[in-house]
Amino acid sequence: MSEFKSGFFIGGEQSNGRVLVVDDEPDIRKVVRMTLHKAGYDVLEAENGAKAIETINSGENRLLLDVMICDIRMPKVNGIEAITYFRENYPRVPLIVLTGFPDTDMATTLLRQGVVDYLVKPVEGEKLKASVARAMEQRELAHL
Amino acid sequence: MMNRSTTQGTEATSSPPVHAGIMGERIESAPVPLPMRVAIIGAGRGGTALLDGLHQISTIEIVGIVDRNPSAPGLKRAHELNVPVYDRLSDLTQHQRLHLVMDVTGDPAMKRMLHEQLPAGADLLSGQAARLLWTLMQHEAHLQAELLHAEKLAGIGSFAAGIAHDMNNPLQLILGLAENLAEETDIGTVRDQARDIIEAVKRTTAICRDLTSYSRRASLRQEGLISVNGKLDEALKIARYAVALQDIDIRKRYQPDVVVKGNPDELLHVFVNLITNAVQAMADQGTLTLETAVTADATQVRVSDTGCGIAPELFGRIFEPFFTTKPPGKGTGLGLYNIKSVIHHMNGNIAVESQVGRGSTFTLTFPHDSAVSERSAQT
Repeated sequence: MSEFKSGFFIGGEQSNGRVLVVDDEPDIRKVVRMTLHKAGYDVLEAENGAKAIETINSGENRLLLDVMICDIRMPKVNGIEAITYFRENYPRVPLIVLTGFPDTDMATTLLRQGVVDYLVKPVEGEKLKASVARAMEQRELAHL
Repeated sequence: MMNRSTTQGTEATSSPPVHAGIMGERIESAPVPLPMRVAIIGAGRGGTALLDGLHQISTIEIVGIVDRNPSAPGLKRAHELNVPVYDRLSDLTQHQRLHLVMDVTGDPAMKRMLHEQLPAGADLLSGQAARLLWTLMQHEAHLQAELLHAEKLAGIGSFAAGIAHDMNNPLQLILGLAENLAEETDIGTVRDQARDIIEAVKRTTAICRDLTSYSRRASLRQEGLISVNGKLDEALKIARYAVALQDIDIRKRYQPDVVVKGNPDELLHVFVNLITNAVQAMADQGTLTLETAVTADATQVRVSDTGCGIAPELFGRIFEPFFTTKPPGKGTGLGLYNIKSVIHHMNGNIAVESQVGRGSTFTLTFPHDSAVSERSAQT
């Protein structure tokens, strides 16, 4: 099994993958973590783009992060800046945008930049899980 | 701390020059017409409307007002506007160099009396002519209110991103928790999450309440004492829908218990506009300072930013109607014009200091006649 593939073990428990959730609202991080945790994902959290960059550059996350879910409107380093950074520095980590503001132009631009999905809150758990599963497939394809 | 500087070049010589002005007056000098001196006879609704309207015109000097009824509303308003109140009609009509006497009593006997007392060189406006003027002034006040409301509604269009963000976040929490509750068996968790849902609904409701309150039409008669500090805080809550405040360092320097007299909805709109402009000038990053103070002469409110500043060639035009530096569709050009109108109606003035690349400060000054203590507001 490749170290990048889903189904690896973290802390003795089997995980379907490691997801970083970047949102300035603790409540949003909480429900996303709850939903994905139930689906077997290991979930990391960051409250803004700067923290997300710090998180992905720390310890084993550089290697083990599978998917990032990112809000747009955030303090310090906002979602657009964070996404640009991740696309440049971690092009193999699939990105999902989860935002409160449906902006067609921004969605088009981000999808062209390689973002896997542009989800507008509120999004149902099943839809979120399906989007993460798609991103995981893309992640695995990138490492074939 | 709140002394207004109107000098230029107060900074070091290497700094960009400070530009300052009051009420948007042009920097270049223009011929100033001599004021027309008018007297108002009658301080009822008509006299009050004339006072309010004529007071805002710099080329008109109201030399005084008189009414038989000492409790007529216009007399109180005259005191607020520092317009002399006369006890006797003859004292007012004998005023030197009077150009026009405006009789709004509606009393035919008064017209005859005034014709006899009219000083040489002065004209009399009375009867239907005075009624027509009053009607026009009321119409103008109505148009001004409509303009203010239209500009406010146009501005609310820019709130879409902020509203969507603040509404959809709690909705996401509600949806996520509700989905979890459908499968949750632990009663403690069920109770905790039900409580979280209730709080999220309250947040959503508060957004709707703030916005519906802000977007309503300001009532012309809704005037009273306003807590300035509270109104600035309310404006910050509204402005965050229009601009991103996450990366703005907000500094509040409030003197406690600062109160002015005016229309609370209009003053809220003024503060929202000033804060929104300030944050936009900083491109969503910088320091926004909100200050209130009571000096010996007046109550002052300052809104300062560390943004791009105002270019000298634009400085004299910023209060002109329809003047904007924003891209098409992003600004009506009526914001500062309406702010000036509201502040002027409150018998205040607005002054600006700005340095290109350093930021701007808008100072609102309300004379003490319209500024009273919080204690009197509570009593």
